Amino acid sequence: MAESDGLDMALAPAPAVDQDQAPPQSLWQRIEPTVLGISGILGVLLLWQALPAFVTLNAGTKLFFTPPSQVAATLWELFASGTIWAPLGVSAAGFAVGLGIAIAIGLPLGILIGRSETLNALCDPFITAFNATPRLVFLPLVLLWFGLGLWSKVVIVAFGAVFPLLINTHEGIRSADKLLINVVRSFGAKEWDVVRLVVVPNALPYIITGLRLAIGRAVLGVVVSEFFGSDQGLGVMMVQAASQYKVNIVFAGMLVFMALSLTMTSLIKALENHLDRWRPQRLASE
Amino acid sequence: MFAQGVVGLMSAYIRGRNVNLTFRPPNRAPVRALHDFDVEVKEGEFLSIVGPSGCGKSTFLSILLGLIKPDSGELDLHGRRIDGPGTDRAMVFQEFGLLPWRTVQHNVELGLQLKGMPAAQRRNVAQHFIRMVGLVGFESHYPHELSGGMKQRVGIARALATDPEVLLMDEPFAALDAQTRDLMQVELLRIWHDTRKTVLFVTHQIDEAIYLSDRVLVMTKRPGRAKRIFAVDLPRPRDYEMRVTPQFNELKLEIWRALEDEIAV
Amino acid sequence: MADAAAPRTGLLRSNRRILLGSLSVLAFFVAWQAVFLFVPLNSLFLTKPSLMFAALVRLTMSGQVFFDLGASAAPFAYGLAASVLIGVPTGILMGRRVRVGLALDPLFTVLYASPLVALAPLVVIFLGVGVTGKTFIVFLLTVFDFVFNAYAGVRAVDPLLLNVVRSFGGAEKDLYLKVIFPSVMPYIVAGARIGVGRALIGILIGEFFAASEGVGYEIVRFGNFFALDSMFAYILVVTLIAIVLTQGVRWAERAAFPWRVES
Repeated sequence: MAESDGLDMALAPAPAVDQDQAPPQSLWQRIEPTVLGISGILGVLLLWQALPAFVTLNAGTKLFFTPPSQVAATLWELFASGTIWAPLGVSAAGFAVGLGIAIAIGLPLGILIGRSETLNALCDPFITAFNATPRLVFLPLVLLWFGLGLWSKVVIVAFGAVFPLLINTHEGIRSADKLLINVVRSFGAKEWDVVRLVVVPNALPYIITGLRLAIGRAVLGVVVSEFFGSDQGLGVMMVQAASQYKVNIVFAGMLVFMALSLTMTSLIKALENHLDRWRPQRLASE
Repeated sequence: MFAQGVVGLMSAYIRGRNVNLTFRPPNRAPVRALHDFDVEVKEGEFLSIVGPSGCGKSTFLSILLGLIKPDSGELDLHGRRIDGPGTDRAMVFQEFGLLPWRTVQHNVELGLQLKGMPAAQRRNVAQHFIRMVGLVGFESHYPHELSGGMKQRVGIARALATDPEVLLMDEPFAALDAQTRDLMQVELLRIWHDTRKTVLFVTHQIDEAIYLSDRVLVMTKRPGRAKRIFAVDLPRPRDYEMRVTPQFNELKLEIWRALEDEIAV
Repeated sequence: MADAAAPRTGLLRSNRRILLGSLSVLAFFVAWQAVFLFVPLNSLFLTKPSLMFAALVRLTMSGQVFFDLGASAAPFAYGLAASVLIGVPTGILMGRRVRVGLALDPLFTVLYASPLVALAPLVVIFLGVGVTGKTFIVFLLTVFDFVFNAYAGVRAVDPLLLNVVRSFGGAEKDLYLKVIFPSVMPYIVAGARIGVGRALIGILIGEFFAASEGVGYEIVRFGNFFALDSMFAYILVVTLIAIVLTQGVRWAERAAFPWRVES
């Protein structure tokens, strides 16, 4: 079973409406979902902004419900003054190197265990165990081994991101249709041709899905490793701000992480949809 | 009226002698698929093989294609020993076997690509066969956008594109509805008439076998061996009306009687 | 596929996977132990299986493992329970009332795709490091698993079945009891499978920050003392519990919904 997460459902297209049978839609019917969606987000922000006007909050709670306008101002200031670039760069470097290592390990290993039953049987207990375990549990150990700084972060990021890639690649390789393999063999294909013409194209959508999950895990790895074991980075900035009760900065940092995840996830999602054009249905992954 | 029995032919083009195969699936008892199976096919002939389910007729096509090696027996094509896949044979598969990520055009090009033909030439050849099977205008469609009949047209074009001497067809119309199937049979006869390939056609349907073939081979139940061969003396080109003539129905009844004993209920 | 399918006797063949898997786990521990016959062990840096298992026995006998597991289990359970109680009705509402679904879907999608873990420092400041803080972090990380799975479950309900119940005179209540809940249940359990993993992450983060008890806290503390044998013992405990939990949900899924076709 390919690994997946609920985000597949969150990002799944709206329930199937038969296009042929649907009556011609009015303008309002077409824009209604967008309008409702935007008002949902705006509504929550407005409510948050207006909250102090309705309820009297004590000092501590007031701090937590810092209005969105102030968060936006802080975010603007962080970018305008340029103070965010240095920590952002550090975080981005950890993310990129860690994810790169995860890809460099997860992809070939996934292909290998997908093509060899023996290797699969040998690796399976470890993959199952590590995949079930939150890799975060190794964080104190990794800090002990690699110290504060880039390499701890890279290890945590790579460790977190490698399994969804590995498992989805493996699943994609394994799910190659036996009939299609026979078809290309019947035209004289050698083992390499089978891999090139059937196995890899079949696995590609799985790999992309794995990549999308891996990106989520990698961001999580950056955040957590910077909370506990780093001296620089966006996460460090947020923890320090939190300890000084600068809640605006925590929310601003959160928004930056949010924007990064969403951008990358949407890019990958677009790639997935592009690859999906030859498929009548989405991957049957829960 | 009908030449009957297993006839030894002088000009055997495909010759199978004492072909034996036993499947040995893991965790299960071995299954004897073919037992001393003999067959001879003339060049340019259309031969159908009918038999009960699981009698090994599809397996025999896979052996001819070179995907499965028999345990024993001889198989020659044009005097050459069959030993693995070759460009002299091409298969049309029951479940179509189209690569879902390739367009019609690129599916038809598959065999040519594996032969190492340059891209430009490939495109021309594929175009020729796409026209032959009547799919002009659908070149850039993906398989999931096609109906079952159209998918099998792609399958036929792909098999013909490599210009094989022998076309192996493994229940190619079994996944289609009745009307599409009738239409595809007419189309297949037209294409066969134009290309003059030797065709081995496996089917469950006696009607289909008679309508298409020069001869019909009936197989026994598993382990499969050749039981009887019926020559079809209907004139060509054949039209749909022939299927309701007394001659057609007599032959159908006779083949059914040969088959009846082999079908266990 | 790449392996030649050599004929084997049935029993050996079917157990081959288990055999190879057990062998490779055994080989791993033996190699880990044996390597220190040749290399000196720096116990500030690494431990070996014999010491790890000895520490595990010691911590189990003294009862500390159970104390810490209990401390971690409470917020784990509370947080997941809160997620189910709030997430499932929200998801069902979104599925049944199209406009509610359209209004909340983008907001929740954005939140679900974001690293909400990044709010942990704030949670710790405002709710503390006790049960409440950890519970809230677990809730934050898992609630959307249940929202989106319940939402997807309701949307996947076959309208035909609803009409069948209506045609027999079923009321709104019957629609929920006879069709919607049974259809949504497997989705909720699937959500739980993902949620359990994320809840474990939540617990660990909460306890890494600044707790005074719990498995995550102890792992950090052992690390600070360079008590690597105890640290590895606890990591092993977390690994085993994680496997039991995720495999347990899978098993429950198969047992409870045998009519579901495995994807």
